[in-house]
Amino acid sequence: MHTRGINPRGGQKVWVWILLAPTLVGLVVGAVGSIAATFGISFFSWDLLTPPEWVGIENYTDLPGNRKFRKALFNTTMFSIMYVPATIVISLVVAVMLNRHIVGKSFFRMIFFLPVITSPTAVGLVWSWIYAKDKGALNAVLDVIGMEPVSWLGSKMVLYSVVIVNVWGAIGEGMIIFLAGSQAIPRDVYEAATIDGATPFQQFWTLTIPLLLPSLFFQTVLSTINAFQAFDYVYILTATSSGGSSMPTLVFQIYRDGFNFFRMGSASAQSVVLALVVLSLTLVYSRLQKRWGGE
Amino acid sequence: MKPIFLTMAALAGLGISAMPATAQTELTYMMWGDPPEIAVWNQIVDEFEALHPNISVKVEIADWDSYWDKLRIQTVGGTAPDIFAMDAPIYPDWQSRGALLDLSPYLAASPEVLEGVYPGPLSTYQLDSGTFGLPRDMQTIVMFYNKDMFDAAGVSYPDDSWTLEDLSAAAAALTLDTNGDGRTDQWGISTELWDMEPFWGPVVYSYGASPISDDYTSTLVGEGAALDAWDYINTLYTSGGIMSDEDLESYGYDGFLAGVAAMTFSGHWVVPGYADLTFGWDIAPFPKGPASRATLVNSAGIVASATTAHPDEAVEFIKFVISEAGQTRLAELGFAIPVLDSVVNSPAYLDQPGAIDQTIFTDAVAYAHTKPSFRGYEEWSATVGDLLSEVWLDEMSMQDALAEITPSADEVLADNQ
Repeated sequence: MHTRGINPRGGQKVWVWILLAPTLVGLVVGAVGSIAATFGISFFSWDLLTPPEWVGIENYTDLPGNRKFRKALFNTTMFSIMYVPATIVISLVVAVMLNRHIVGKSFFRMIFFLPVITSPTAVGLVWSWIYAKDKGALNAVLDVIGMEPVSWLGSKMVLYSVVIVNVWGAIGEGMIIFLAGSQAIPRDVYEAATIDGATPFQQFWTLTIPLLLPSLFFQTVLSTINAFQAFDYVYILTATSSGGSSMPTLVFQIYRDGFNFFRMGSASAQSVVLALVVLSLTLVYSRLQKRWGGE
Repeated sequence: MKPIFLTMAALAGLGISAMPATAQTELTYMMWGDPPEIAVWNQIVDEFEALHPNISVKVEIADWDSYWDKLRIQTVGGTAPDIFAMDAPIYPDWQSRGALLDLSPYLAASPEVLEGVYPGPLSTYQLDSGTFGLPRDMQTIVMFYNKDMFDAAGVSYPDDSWTLEDLSAAAAALTLDTNGDGRTDQWGISTELWDMEPFWGPVVYSYGASPISDDYTSTLVGEGAALDAWDYINTLYTSGGIMSDEDLESYGYDGFLAGVAAMTFSGHWVVPGYADLTFGWDIAPFPKGPASRATLVNSAGIVASATTAHPDEAVEFIKFVISEAGQTRLAELGFAIPVLDSVVNSPAYLDQPGAIDQTIFTDAVAYAHTKPSFRGYEEWSATVGDLLSEVWLDEMSMQDALAEITPSADEVLADNQ
C-alpha cells in the first residue's frame, strides 16, 4: 500500500493539501498576488505616498514615446539576442563533454555549476575589478602582451562585457539540464549508430540534438526569461554614481522609475509589457517545438 | 500583601524622580551620513536630553542610497522616523505627498527660532502651504586644489581673481602623462558632470544663464548664454582636462582624494576626509565667469513626519538642532556650514582644525544660487544628467543632447505640476 503513496486516496487527500498548504499559500499570495497587484497598479498613477489615481491605459500609451523605456527595451533585446544562443551553445558543449568518462568529471561539473550558486553581488564586484580600466586584471594581461588597454565597461564594450558575465553565470544551470537530458538517452541508441558506422559528429547531430530537443526548448525558454529579467550583474557592473546605468535594461529602468522617481504605475505597466514579451516568445518557442516534433 | 504594599510605598516615595521615566517619549531621528557623524549627533542628543529629560532621541544613520530607500519604505509602511533629514531639492517631492509635518504653527508660537538663520536656505522650506522643514546645515561649492601639483607644474595658486579662462589654462598645464607611457595619469580636474551642483550649475550661472526657469516650469539649459557655458565645459572635457566617469570609477569617484587630479569642486562635506591627505591642499572661490562669479548653495534640512505620534517633542528637537548650541556642535563636526549667522562667525566654525580659510565657504553664500528645489527634481535632474552622460561617453553630440534634454525634461516638469 505504501508503494502506491503517490496516489493518495480518500482521507489521505486532505493531508496532502494540508501539508502543501504553506507552500501553496506562499505561492498564491506571493506570486499570483503580486502579478495581480502589478496588473492593477499599471492602470493607476501611484507614488506610494498618496492614494492611487485611476488613469486608464495612459501608463501604456505613454510607453512608446518614453525614450528611456525604448532605450532599455533596445538594450534588453540586444542583450538577449547574444545571451540566449551563447548560453545554450556553451552549456550544451560543456554538458556533452562532461557526459563522458573523463578524469575529474565531478570536479569540472562542480566548477561549472559554482557561479550559479554564488552571490551575484559578490561575484559582480570581482568582475568589476577584472574589467576595471586602469587597475583591472584583464587590462593587466593585455598590457603584458603589449596591447592597448580596453575600457571594458565603457560605452562601446559594456554590452558584450555584461553578456559575458551573465553567460558565465548561467552555463552551470544549462549544463545540469542538458546533462540530465543526455543521461535519459539510452546507451544502445549510440551503440547501434556506432555499428552502423556513424561518426561521433554525426551521432551528435542526428541523435543527441534531436533527442535533447525537449531540454533545449526548456532551456531556451528559461534563458529567455532570465535574459529579459537581467538585473543583478547589470546593476553591479553598470550603475553610475548618479543612480543611472551605462546600460539600463528593462528591469533596471522599472526599478528606477518605481523606487527612485515615485512612478509605481508606469513601472507596473512596463513590467506587464515585459511579461507579455516573455510570454509571446515562450508561445513562439512552444509552436516551434511542436512543429519540429519535440513533443 | 505586606511586602508588595511596602514596595509600592517605596516606589511612591521615589515618585518624583521616577515619574518622568514612565512618561518618557522616545523619538527616532534618521539621517544619511558617515559612521563618524553618529558620535557628534549623540553629543547633540545628550545636550538636548539634558534640557528635556522626558524625551529621548535615537539617532539612525544610513548611507545616502539606502537612506532614501529606507525612508520611502518606512513612510509607506506607516513607520516613518519621527524626525529625519531632507535634501532641499527633493523636499517638495516629500512635502507635496503629505509626508511632512507643518511646522508653521510652532514657528508662529516661537518666531525667535528663525532669528539669524540664513534667509536663502530658509526660503527653500517656506512654501505657500506652510513651512514643513528647516535647513539643518548648508553647503557652498568652492574649488579645492593640490598645492604640490601646482608647485611641480609651476602654475600659480588660484585666488579670487581667477576666471574660467584661468581655470582651463591651469587644467591644461596640470593634465600630464607623468610616466611617459602615452596615457594621461594626472588630470587637471576631477568633478562630476552629471549633477549640476559641483560644476556645471555654477558655470551655467556664471555665464549669466540658468538651468531652469524661476517658476520651475521650463528647462533652460539648452538656450541663450547656457550654450556658451556648455561650449566651455565641453571644450574643457574633450581636451582631457576633466576626468571621465570611467577614470573616476577607477579612482573611487574622487580623483582629488586619490591624488591624480589637481583640482576639484566640492562642498564642505569633503573637508574631514581631506584632512588626512598627505599632500598640501587649499581652497579658493569658484572662478569668475563672463557674466559674474557664481556657485551653488544647497542645504540639508530637518523635518518631522506627518504621522509622528509626538509632534510637539519632535519640533522641540528640531528647534534645538537649529539653536546656537546645536549648530555649534554641528560646526565642530566640520561636514557643513552652520545655518546660523552667529555660529558662522564664532570660533566653533572659524577655528576648525586645518589651515583653510573657512570664510571662503561662507562668503560664497552671497553670490551663490540656491540649488533648484521643486516637485519632480530627482527625475528632472536624472533626465538632464543621463543625456549629458551620453555626451561625456561620446555617444551623442552636445548639440543633439541639448536638443533632446529640453523637451524630455520639460515633460517631466509638466508631469509633476
